[in-house]
Amino acid sequence: MNANLVSQGIFYFFAALTLGSAAVVVFSRSLIYSIFGLLFTFFGVAALYVFLGADFLAATQMVIYVGGILVLLLFGVMLTHKLYDLDLKTETFQVIPALLLVAAVFGTLILAMTRTTWFSGAVRQPEPTTAEIGKLFMREYILPFEVASVFLLIALIGAAMIVRKGAE
Amino acid sequence: MDPKLIADLHKFYPEMVITGTLLLVVVADIALPVLRRSLTFALTVLGLAAAFALTLPLMAVQPGSMFYGMIALDPMAVFFKAFLVLASLLVVLAAPGSKEFSRSDLGEFYALLLGVTLGMMLLASSTDLLMFFLSLEMVSLGSYIMVGYLHNDRQSNEASLKYILFGAVSTGAMLYGITLLFGVTGTTKMVVIRHVLAGAAASGENSLILLVSTVLILAGLGFKIAAVPFHFWCPDVYTGAPTPVTAFLSVAPKAAGFAIFVRFFFTGLSQAGPQLTWSTFASINWMPIVMVLSIVTMTFGNIAALRQENMKRLMAYSSIAHAGYILMGVVVLTSEGLQAVLVYLVTYLFMNLGAFMIVIEIYNRTGSFELKDYRGFYRRSPFLSISMSIFLLSLMGIPPLAGFFGKFYVFAAAVNRDLAWFAVIGAINSVVAVYYYVRVMKTMMIDGSDDMSPVRVSWDSKALIWVMLIPTIGLMLFWDRVQKLTSGSVGLFLGN
Amino acid sequence: MIGLTHYLVISAALFSLGIMCVLTRKNAVSVLMGIELILNSANLNLVAFSKYTAGNLDGQLFAVFTIIVAAAEAAVALAIVLSMYRLLRSVNLDRADTLKG
Repeated sequence: MNANLVSQGIFYFFAALTLGSAAVVVFSRSLIYSIFGLLFTFFGVAALYVFLGADFLAATQMVIYVGGILVLLLFGVMLTHKLYDLDLKTETFQVIPALLLVAAVFGTLILAMTRTTWFSGAVRQPEPTTAEIGKLFMREYILPFEVASVFLLIALIGAAMIVRKGAE
Repeated sequence: MDPKLIADLHKFYPEMVITGTLLLVVVADIALPVLRRSLTFALTVLGLAAAFALTLPLMAVQPGSMFYGMIALDPMAVFFKAFLVLASLLVVLAAPGSKEFSRSDLGEFYALLLGVTLGMMLLASSTDLLMFFLSLEMVSLGSYIMVGYLHNDRQSNEASLKYILFGAVSTGAMLYGITLLFGVTGTTKMVVIRHVLAGAAASGENSLILLVSTVLILAGLGFKIAAVPFHFWCPDVYTGAPTPVTAFLSVAPKAAGFAIFVRFFFTGLSQAGPQLTWSTFASINWMPIVMVLSIVTMTFGNIAALRQENMKRLMAYSSIAHAGYILMGVVVLTSEGLQAVLVYLVTYLFMNLGAFMIVIEIYNRTGSFELKDYRGFYRRSPFLSISMSIFLLSLMGIPPLAGFFGKFYVFAAAVNRDLAWFAVIGAINSVVAVYYYVRVMKTMMIDGSDDMSPVRVSWDSKALIWVMLIPTIGLMLFWDRVQKLTSGSVGLFLGN
Repeated sequence: MIGLTHYLVISAALFSLGIMCVLTRKNAVSVLMGIELILNSANLNLVAFSKYTAGNLDGQLFAVFTIIVAAAEAAVALAIVLSMYRLLRSVNLDRADTLKG
């Protein structure tokens, strides 16, 4: 009973961390604060993946999102640094309608989700996923796997080409 | 190795050739600085031509699913593969001719185009939600980069920024919708989704979440085909991008978007009924939603085009309107409607690309896309003016040009499904569209201008424009061939 | 007891916050952060459904591919932003107005 309570407590902690950091991302005036908020959001989501028994995914999330995308965003902000401490608050007239719209969206989603009977397959018991994911990549998911590598090649060529200086 | 996998690979030659060409172009671009320009061009053209040739025998193959149900091979998939490769080939032939690219190295352009072509071919055959998302993103990402290809040009850059931000939000929302569908049905395979929804069809209890999911997925699909209200990126991106890219975007990814639109809604969310009609499930009746989308799209596109003075912007709104007409063929839920979609796309390919090629040629001589610089062009180049008039007449839907057949089929499909009022709205829209197309014709043919210098068109550009003209004018001559081809291509693989 | 609904509420909140970020922020990098929030919320959905409704790893595999796509998109978006900064000395979306409409 005690362990259950502790695990619930930890879950709520990470949930609050995730949503709180996301709020910082959205409402903070400083771009750097937003980025660090994003860092903690990614971290919170990775923790939630662990709760859902997705160990490989949690590690991937940390490595790619935090180690890759976040660092990239940080570079992006630093390289355009003359602006990162600008007051980025938009005129109030735009924030209130957006807030109402988003609240409506959120409300609709919650309403729809609570009214739904989700598909009832088996509930997956927690067990290590890495080996199984590896096998699936080579079997059922082999086509997306190969396509993803071409996709990344395109992204690589494109991104490098865009920032290249000099003669077109 | 799984023997089924090897059998699938034998049916996968076009895609493999495209991928191989892509890799060769990348290597050639790095390795040989002297020969680079012509070598990459030649490789790309050969690769696309080979891929086109390899799609033709696929028509005879038994329909079935490939790669563990990720993609399907059926007549419609083969049709779109051939269509998309042809469209890419035509754009590659036209691209070096544009002055916008005169200072650019086109090696990466060809590589990106080949990547987008691969993505489009997979998109048109996807039967799994993961494959759908991945290939859609592949097409989109390549497009974002191609739009910003002139990285020293402010407009090109701005266009690609707007495109990627808008596109990423739309596909992100679409992904969220896909996840909800996954939750309700427990699977990502469209065929299985249909079975699950059919089983639960009696109870309308999941209708709200399915509605939310469908609307979100429509956000992503609507973005790809530039339907209102997901069209906001279209005019700016079309105007800022290099014109060959604009021509490509207006035809190829749009067609691929329609292919997956049809495939998703017909394979996943509809029930095949008697006599080749489909019906929607009780829990998710998407037909009225898409019908409204179609009406709003064609109306808004036509009305917005009326005031445009920039040719590329005008063509952007024109292509938005055409997307509305094509959606009409989807909404009627019959195979006649699907055939209409295919016919419309074929005619649209040639007339739209043709119009853009003329825009490119005029830009090459005048450096402008503004309508006021088109004045009196008839005296400067009768060839360009008359060809443009033919393409515009076809876009209007004037018989006996190709565009008429597309519109006729779509309206007929609607009428045959007791949706005559829908066809009437389309017809009224076509009449409204006449105004802005005729305005361009009048500017070129009748208006006077001070600049009378003759414009010479190089033989290769002329040849390309003729390649577009011949199907536009001559479609009525080999009409029965097209008829047979499209009616035979309507087959969708619906699962074992 | 923590159940499916808990995760769905969190993901709905993340999605809404992401939309809010995209709608109200003018800085291109901020909009990109909003997009990442949206993609993460979808991923959370996928993994939660994978455990509670599908009972297999389909959702988790899908999530891996989403992460791949998100990374590539972020890289390209930042490349475009940097290119724009070089041209304009600003990444404020209000300044991206040479294309009217």
